[in-house]
Amino acid sequence: MEAKQKSEKFVVPIGPQHPALKEPGHFEFTVDGEIVTNATARLGFVHRGMEKGVEDRNWTQGLYLMERVCGICSHVHAMAYALGVEKLANIQAPPRAQAIRELVAELERIHSHLLWLGVAAHEGGFDTLFMFSWRDRETVMDLLETITGNRVNYSANVLGGVKIDINDAQKDALRRGMDFLEERTKHYLKVVTEDETFLGRTRKIGVMTYEEATLLGAIGPTGRASGVQRDVRVDSPYAGYPDFPVNIVTSVAGDLEARFVVRIKELYESYRLVREIVDHLPGGDLTVKVPRRIPEGEVISRVEAPRGELFYFMKSNGTDKPERIKVRTPSLCNWGSVLTTAIGHKLADMPMILAGIDPCFSCNDRMVMISGKKTETQVWDWEDLRQYGIEYYK
Amino acid sequence: MNITFPSLIALLLFPGGLFLLGSGLFFEYLDRKLVARFQNRIGPRWFQPLADFIKLLAKEEVIPAGTIKSLFILLPIFALAAALTAALSVPLFGFKPVFSYNGDLIVTLYLLSMMTLCIGLAGANTEDRFSIVGATRALTQLFSYEAPFMLAMLGPAIALGTWNISLINQGATQQSLWFIVSQPIGFLAALIGLMGKLELPPFDAPEAETEIVAGALTEYSGRGFGLFKIGRDIELVVGLTLIASFYLGGFSTPLDFLWKVFVLLLITAALQSLFARLRIDQTVGLWWRIGAILVLCQLVLIIIGNTLSPFIAPLLGG
Repeated sequence: MEAKQKSEKFVVPIGPQHPALKEPGHFEFTVDGEIVTNATARLGFVHRGMEKGVEDRNWTQGLYLMERVCGICSHVHAMAYALGVEKLANIQAPPRAQAIRELVAELERIHSHLLWLGVAAHEGGFDTLFMFSWRDRETVMDLLETITGNRVNYSANVLGGVKIDINDAQKDALRRGMDFLEERTKHYLKVVTEDETFLGRTRKIGVMTYEEATLLGAIGPTGRASGVQRDVRVDSPYAGYPDFPVNIVTSVAGDLEARFVVRIKELYESYRLVREIVDHLPGGDLTVKVPRRIPEGEVISRVEAPRGELFYFMKSNGTDKPERIKVRTPSLCNWGSVLTTAIGHKLADMPMILAGIDPCFSCNDRMVMISGKKTETQVWDWEDLRQYGIEYYK
Repeated sequence: MNITFPSLIALLLFPGGLFLLGSGLFFEYLDRKLVARFQNRIGPRWFQPLADFIKLLAKEEVIPAGTIKSLFILLPIFALAAALTAALSVPLFGFKPVFSYNGDLIVTLYLLSMMTLCIGLAGANTEDRFSIVGATRALTQLFSYEAPFMLAMLGPAIALGTWNISLINQGATQQSLWFIVSQPIGFLAALIGLMGKLELPPFDAPEAETEIVAGALTEYSGRGFGLFKIGRDIELVVGLTLIASFYLGGFSTPLDFLWKVFVLLLITAALQSLFARLRIDQTVGLWWRIGAILVLCQLVLIIIGNTLSPFIAPLLGG
């Protein structure tokens, strides 16, 4: 590797392959000594063409493809898709199914936040917290496996409901699991707010003010840590959330510590919700019938993924295949905040600032075409795209 | 123990040479295992460091373009040689040092610093950006802990009035009060300084994998990396031996040596798993704002105490 000098400046590349990144992404930090003076990101290393792929599948097959957009928040993708299809078909899943959807979504949030806690601690060189939080995360992974049979792609949803039911033994296991995790989470909250060396890496680091957060469109826990009162579960409740409402967790500090605290407090909220759903699970059917052909129309489906608002635009042309599915995942909205807050910080803080938004790379990779003139518009169909891909790699 | 080995055996087999290499690997295993247990992991099996070492020796060594070849090959050898040489004047395993002379404390301390210098040079020698940042950090860290570490090691030397490691060890065994009690700051500075020297967490900023991959040694693979690694293991043994002999009342038997050094290893492993990584500016700040000043104060107190003791001792009925 040759040292690259850009006008006397030293560029430290992170990625596409780097120990700090678990997925490929590329970041270039221009440093002056240890201080970062500029940051750029390049994504698109794991673009998989799923939006296009779903157009070649029928509505049911699409559910299983969309569940695989993300490995950490698989359930929210399937849920957003299923809710969207149900809205298009103008049907409602039964209340029990909606509650179970929320239950799995909250369990998934617990596993995702605990996973993030470990990763963020590892980026800060605090491997003990990493190991402990991942050990405890196994509890919720086991619970998910007990309920759905799977650890990653739970496949709890079907169009028109869910395919799993919760029995009494599972309810007990859930209650025990939540009790254990709540105890552990109290300890973690204490660690991230009181440990001196850890606070040295998080307090007043990567500060994003409320104004910046709204300007950059930060969403999810990243935005909420800067005081942005935005949570789809509260703003427009879906699935079981109207019956089992959630309290929004925010902070005004906007630094890395606030992002830790907000996520950990969201864990408490999730434990409370899981207990409430388990105690007051509505009875009734699990599914309603969904027609094979979905009526023509367009719909927007929004759910709150662990990382923020997940947005689905779905268009049906009245056949058994979707006309267009557009997915916008939360990580995409938060990149801007990373690149802005990075400037002025030390190189050593970069991994933590990067990890602070809980980035997920492969789900937000997009193909970007930059045309010569701003005014020029261009419409490409699948065949053109395919041809472009073939030419590009020739 | 006052057994003298024939010098060739002492150099090549026991207590130096092969046995030292072996115990270096064993100490690395213990350290990794202890940290793993503290972190609720299983940890490696006992032969893992040896297996790693053999594998690294057998692997192809890639010499990257743009480096000075001879330097790239020689630096790991220098580093290992310095660590092995440093072991000569230290009462390893409770036996008499192989080569003892007046002032060997200073020589040993300098030899222990050779490792960091070699790592810094090795990083600066390559054109890799991670290596260069790592080398800068390694040398910055050297600058921060080196003086307090040295002052901490001088504490017992000044108190006993000799700069010969072997004599300090003997003197320490005869003290009624261990130096860890009479000079607690020195003990802490020495132990934490050793962790900084070995780039153990939380002082692992020079090789912080989430920022700069493997730091200065990013471009090293195969033999060079293996030699650096085992050199560091030997430094761990030598460093712990020095601190145990100075601050934990010295030792004259292997058993005495073992339990004292293992206690120290236990403490370092616990410290490694307790903290988050310090940024390089935090490390420098910690050492110069707190460490250096405290150690200096202690040194001044020792010197004052030494000067006054002939006058005070009769008053105390001594």
